Amino acid sequence: MSRDPQPQVGGARIEHRDEAELVTRSLAGDRAAFGALVDRYAAQARRVARAVLRDPDDADDAAQDAFLSALVKLEQYDPRRPFGPWLMRIVANAATDRRRRRSVRSAEPLDPGVVGGGPRPDTAAERSALSERLRQALAELPERRRLAVVLFDVEGYSHAEIAGMLKIPEGTVRSEVFHARRKLRTLLEDWREPS
Amino acid sequence: MMEELPFDHEPDIQLGAALRQALEPAGHEAFVARVMAGVSTPKAGSWDVLAGWAGRGIAAALLVALGAGFAAGRALQPASASIEEGLMSAPADSGTAAAALVRGNNPPDASIVFAVRP
Repeated sequence: MSRDPQPQVGGARIEHRDEAELVTRSLAGDRAAFGALVDRYAAQARRVARAVLRDPDDADDAAQDAFLSALVKLEQYDPRRPFGPWLMRIVANAATDRRRRRSVRSAEPLDPGVVGGGPRPDTAAERSALSERLRQALAELPERRRLAVVLFDVEGYSHAEIAGMLKIPEGTVRSEVFHARRKLRTLLEDWREPS
Repeated sequence: MMEELPFDHEPDIQLGAALRQALEPAGHEAFVARVMAGVSTPKAGSWDVLAGWAGRGIAAALLVALGAGFAAGRALQPASASIEEGLMSAPADSGTAAAALVRGNNPPDASIVFAVRP
């Protein structure tokens, strides 16, 4: 199975020309075609699910549910539109549903000290620690806000596409991304300042 | 780090990269294989399977019951089900004629009911 490399930023900019064909073949029962779609969007779906669900296993379960749900709903997909936003909407819904079912776990209070500043991430260990702090900080954001910032800054979707995925006005997406960035940038700046 | 401007139209490359690293999952191939395994064996709860079987079973049972009921009804019908024959053959002063009238499946012909017996 060939794997299309995910761009560093801009999952939405993945070449979509052949996706309509892959969908058509999937609908005709071509398992390999659906496998190609899964292969292409697996990492993105798992990241988006993880933005909602802190637990990586829960996130993977949600992403898997989303792919299977997408397969069932594949006839509803409009091949004139890009596949990514359509799929990510399903992923976000699957993750949100799972998060609601596990609301007790997701409501775990965060250690306030963890999301504070720290040394510069010069080593792999420090980068790993920064990632953990970013995940913690992300988890402190309202769900819609963290989804918006991940979809925009990590996956490269436009405000309009995110608005369609989350069923909120485009202006609200902009606002959510702005507020999320303000919080997360503060964390990154703290890492860059000498302690 | 990009200048913090409200409602930026462009993704923040640095923040995006840091978030991507924080959210990056491991085991891509294993995950894809897991999803495709789920596609091969779609989740069908045992209750769904049983419900499917039960539906077919109930339909079959209904057909059998209808057939059996029809057969039983046919078997219970008297050999001379004709009211007219019962009325004509019964003596005038016996209750047999009235019994034939009640027992019959079809309404009797008026000419027989109102016939004047000599």
